[in-house]
Amino acid sequence: MSQSLAKECNEAKERYDTCFLKWYSEKYLRGNGTEQNNECSTLFKEYSSCLQVALKERGIDKLLDEAREELKDSDSTYMGKKKSSTGPDFCRDRMLEHIRDRQDQDDGLMRVFWPTDLPRSDCNGVVVGWRNSALDVLVVAVLEEVEPRRVESALKLGNLLRNAPHPVSRIYEQCGKSSISVLGVSNTPDTVEVDSSWIRVTIAPKQRVPSVTCARASSIQIILFERPLPGRMQYMSLNPIALALGDKHDGFRQDFADSGEEDDEKRERLSKETKRKLVEKLKQHSVIKRIPSPKERALATIVNQINWAWELEKLLQQNVSRIGTRPKRALSVSERVVESATTARDMVLVWLWELITIYVLPVIKKVFVLGLMAHRVVAEMLLRILEWRLRPRYAALKDISATAQQVEIRLQQFCYWPMQYVTLRMRKNDWASVTTSHPDYIRFYNSLWLVANDVIIGMAFGSYIIENAGWVADEISRLLTTYTVEALQSSISWLMGWPAGLKLNTELAAFLGDLFLWVIEYWASCIETIRPMLPRIVLIIGFSSFAGASMPLALFSDLLSILTIHIYSFYLASARIFHWQLNILQSLFHLFRGKKHNVLRNRIDSCDYGLDQLLVGTILFTVLFFLLPTVVVFYLNFAIARMAIILFKACFDTALSCLNHFPLFALMLRVKDPKRLPGGIRFELRDTQDFGATSNDNIPLRQHPSTSVISLQSIPLDFKSMFYQYFQMGNRIRKHYLSPRVALCLLTGKFVPPLNRRNLYSLQYSMLPAKRAGVMEMWDAVNSLPASKRKSMPIQVPILANGRRFPSNYGGGRSRSYG
Amino acid sequence: MLATTPYLTIRRPSPTTAEFTLTTCPPLTLPLRAALFGVLCLRFIAVLSVIIGIYAAFFSPTGLLPPPIFPSGRISFLDFDLNNFLLHILHLLYISRPGQYLASLAISLPPYAVLALSALTSYIALFARIHTTESLLVLRGLGIQMSSSVGGGNFFRLGGGTFMKRTRFIPTEKIQDILINEAFKGFEVRYYLVIVVEGEQDVVVCFPRLLPRRKIVERVWRGARGCLYEKDGPVLSAGAGGGGGSHGGNGAWRGGSGNGNGKGG
Repeated sequence: MSQSLAKECNEAKERYDTCFLKWYSEKYLRGNGTEQNNECSTLFKEYSSCLQVALKERGIDKLLDEAREELKDSDSTYMGKKKSSTGPDFCRDRMLEHIRDRQDQDDGLMRVFWPTDLPRSDCNGVVVGWRNSALDVLVVAVLEEVEPRRVESALKLGNLLRNAPHPVSRIYEQCGKSSISVLGVSNTPDTVEVDSSWIRVTIAPKQRVPSVTCARASSIQIILFERPLPGRMQYMSLNPIALALGDKHDGFRQDFADSGEEDDEKRERLSKETKRKLVEKLKQHSVIKRIPSPKERALATIVNQINWAWELEKLLQQNVSRIGTRPKRALSVSERVVESATTARDMVLVWLWELITIYVLPVIKKVFVLGLMAHRVVAEMLLRILEWRLRPRYAALKDISATAQQVEIRLQQFCYWPMQYVTLRMRKNDWASVTTSHPDYIRFYNSLWLVANDVIIGMAFGSYIIENAGWVADEISRLLTTYTVEALQSSISWLMGWPAGLKLNTELAAFLGDLFLWVIEYWASCIETIRPMLPRIVLIIGFSSFAGASMPLALFSDLLSILTIHIYSFYLASARIFHWQLNILQSLFHLFRGKKHNVLRNRIDSCDYGLDQLLVGTILFTVLFFLLPTVVVFYLNFAIARMAIILFKACFDTALSCLNHFPLFALMLRVKDPKRLPGGIRFELRDTQDFGATSNDNIPLRQHPSTSVISLQSIPLDFKSMFYQYFQMGNRIRKHYLSPRVALCLLTGKFVPPLNRRNLYSLQYSMLPAKRAGVMEMWDAVNSLPASKRKSMPIQVPILANGRRFPSNYGGGRSRSYG
Repeated sequence: MLATTPYLTIRRPSPTTAEFTLTTCPPLTLPLRAALFGVLCLRFIAVLSVIIGIYAAFFSPTGLLPPPIFPSGRISFLDFDLNNFLLHILHLLYISRPGQYLASLAISLPPYAVLALSALTSYIALFARIHTTESLLVLRGLGIQMSSSVGGGNFFRLGGGTFMKRTRFIPTEKIQDILINEAFKGFEVRYYLVIVVEGEQDVVVCFPRLLPRRKIVERVWRGARGCLYEKDGPVLSAGAGGGGGSHGGNGAWRGGSGNGNGKGG
C-alpha cells in the first residue's frame, strides 16, 4: 500500500485500503456490490478524521480545496459509479496522493526496476508492472502486440489474472500495492501520444539494457535485476536468511536462568547497555530528522515484488491471449485424434488413481497417523522423566548426562518433525513466491539429513564395535589401568619422594600420598570387579549406535565421567585442603602484621593482639607456610588431571554438536544454488556515459535524461553467518574456561565450575522450538493436513477466479498438474 | 612501484548516483602490468618449490629416472592416468638443478621446520595482497553500499583484478546520519567517515582499511550527502578542501550536522 501523507494515519489507511480492496475485488467486480459500502465506511471515517487533523496541522487543507475545484471535472467522470457513497472523500484521497506525487516529482528522479531475463523482441508492446509512486516503477512484464487501452481496462477488470492457481488477493497483499498498472509502452514510435507519466522503452533482442525515457523525469536510474525463480525456491531478501529458529530461546533462557545468571553474561549485558546509551546520545547530534520519502521506504516492498515477478509474468503472459486480437486456431483432425487418445489414457489413469486414493491410501494414512501418535505419547513420557527436577533449582537428568541430553534432542526432533512437515505442506497451497517458509524448509531437511547421516555413520561404527567387541573392551580396560590407575599411582609416589629436587615435607607428603594411594587401590579393585562386564557394556554401546553415531559418543562421554570419578573426588578434596590452607595463611599473615580483616566493613583494620596471640599465630603461620608446597604439588597434580578430563569431554561435546547441528543442508545448498540462501542485496554500477557527456546513440534527437544503470544482485549467505551459532558457543566456552576468573580459581583452589549444559542448549534451540507442541496440538495438526489438501482447493477457487463462473476445464487441468 | 598512496576516483553517471572508489592500485600501465605478471610468476614458483620441497622431504623419491607415465609400456589413451602423469612431471622438476638444490635444503632441515616453512611460503604466495580497493556507492532513494576488495597480482586473478569482495548495503531508510569523526590512532589523529545506522550498536566506518586523509574524506562526505539528500545533486567542486573551516575538537560533529541544513525540507 502507498503510505499515507500523515505518518500517524498509516495504520488507519492500511486497514481501510485492505477492506476496500477486498470489497472491490470480491463483490464489486462480480456485480453484486451494493451501493452502500457498509463494511468499510467506518474504517474510512476513522481514517479521514485522522487525516483531517494531520492536514490542519500542516496547513494543506486550503491547498486541497483549491486543487479540488480544479480537478472536479476530470475526477467526476472517473469516479462516476462510486460518487454516491464515498465520492468526495475518495477524491480527497486521490488528491493527497497527487500532492505527494508532486513532492516526489520535484526530485525528478525516475527509478525503473527492469528484469534482465525478460524475453526481448522488436515488437511494440505494453509495459506492465507495479507503480510504487509516481516516478518509481517495477516492470513485471512486457505484453506484446496489444493495445495499451485494452490492457488497462483488462487490468482493472482483473481479466489478466484469470485462472490463477491461488487467490489473487494474496499477490496484492504481499506486493503491498492495490493494483498492477500499465507503466508505459515499448518500441513505440515517438509520434504516438502517451500519458506523461508513462515510460517509453526501446529495446532490441540483442540489447541487454533497455533505454528508457519519461517525459516527467530529469534523471533516470535503471536498476536491472535477475528474477529469482520461485519454483526453485530462490528469493531475494534485504536481511540475511535466518537459519536459526528465531529468538525464542532467549525468553526461555531468561526465565530459566534468572536465578543463576553468570558473571560473564551479566558483564556482556552491561556492556551492551552502555553501548546502547552511547548510540542514543549519538542520535541527539543530528539536528534535522529527515523524513524518508515514499521512494526510500519502498525498498522492502520492492524486494517482495521482485520475488513475485516471475510468477506474475507467467500468469500475465498466459492471459494475454484474452485481450489480444489473434483468435485461437481450431484443432485439426489428427490433433483431435491425439487429444481424444490422451483423454482416454488419462481417464484410465484417473480411474486407477481414484481406486488407490479412495481405498488404499486412507487406511495407510490412518495407521501411520496412529503410529505417530503412539510414538508421540511415549516420547512425551520419556521427556517428562528426562526433564523432571526434584526442585526447580536442581539439575534434571538431561543436565547431568550427555546420553540423556542426546535422547532428549532426538525425541524433541521426532516431536517437532510432524509439525514442521505440516507447515511445509501448507506451503503447497499457496503461491510459490511466498518466501516466509523457506528457512523452515531448510531447517526441516537439515535435521532430517543430519539424522540420516548420523544413522549411517552410526551403523558403520556400530558394526565395527560389535565385531571387535573383545578387542575394544580390552583396549578400554588397558587404557583405564594405565592412565587412571597406574599413572596416578606413579605420579603420587614420585611426589612422595622429593620431586624435581623440591624438598617437601616428608611426613605430610607420605600422609597425603598414602591416603590417595589407598583410595586408588580400592578404586582399582572396583574396576577389577566390573572388568568382566566390560565386553557386555561395549556390546550395548555398539548396538546403541544403530540409533546414530551420536549415541555411542554420548555414552562414551558418560562412561568417561563415571570411570574417572575418583580423579574428580581427589581434585575436590585436594582443592578444598589447599583452599583452606590458603585462607588460614592469609588471615594469619594479617595477624603477623598486626592487622585484621573487618568483616562488617570489608576492609583491613589495625588490631591490638596480645603477646600470646601473636606468638601462637606466628608459629602456626610458619608451620602452615612451610607445609604449603607439599599441598600445592598434590593439588596441582589432580587439577591437571581434571583439566585433561574436561578437555576430553569438550572434544566429545564438540563432536556431538557437529553431528546434531551441523548446517550441512545449508552448506550443500550454498554450493548447489546460492540464490536459495540470500544474504542481502548488492548493487553494482554499470559502465555508462558519464554525467554531462553527450547523449546515447540510440536516441539521437530527443533530449536524453542522464541515466545510470545499476544492477541489483543477491549476495549469497556467507559462511560466517552459517556457523554463527558455533562461533557463539565457542565464544561462550572460551569465556568460561579461558578467563582470568578461572585462572584465579585454579590458583586459589576454588572449585572451577564445569560449563553449564544450559549454555550448550543455545545451539539446540536454534533448531528446535523452546516449547514443544503438545500431544493434542499435534493430533490437530496431523488431522488438519488431508483436509487442507482436499477440501480447501475447491473452496478457494471462486475467490481466485475473479470471474463469475468456474472455468470449464478446471478439473482436467488440475488433475494433470497435481496427479 | 606496485602500490601508491590511496587516491580517489569518482564515477557519476547521473547526479543521483555516484561511486567513490579509493584504491592503492596505480593506473594500469604496461610496465605495471608486467610487474604484476612478474609477481604472479614469483607466486607460482614459490608454490611449486613448496611442492617440490615436500616431495623431497617426505616421499623420499629414489633414482634419477622419473616414474613412467605409462607403466604398461604401451602408449595409449586408455592407459593415461593423471596421477602418474603429475608424478612424472614432479619428478622431472625434482631432478632439475634448482629442484636438487631445494631437495637438499629440505632434507637438511628437520621435518617440522619444512612443514612450517612451506605453510608460511604457500600462505604468502596464495593470499598476500598488494592492492586494497574500497568503494562507496551512493544511490539516491536506495541507500549506500560499501565494498572493499583485496587484490592485485593475486594468484587467482591476473593483474588488477579483485579477489575477495565484501559488500554491505545500508538502505536510506536506516541511515540516520553521515558524518566525519576523528580518532586517535597511535600518535596521530585520523578523520574518518562514519555512517550512523538506526538500530545498530556500532557506527559503520567507511573505508576502514585505508582510512584516507582528511581532504579525501571531506570530498566523499560532501559528494555523498549531495547525492543522497540534496535536491539537484551539486556539482562536485574539484578541491573541496577549503570548505570546512573549523575542525578542532568536536568540529567534525558540527560539520556533520551543520551542513545538514542544506538538504531540502
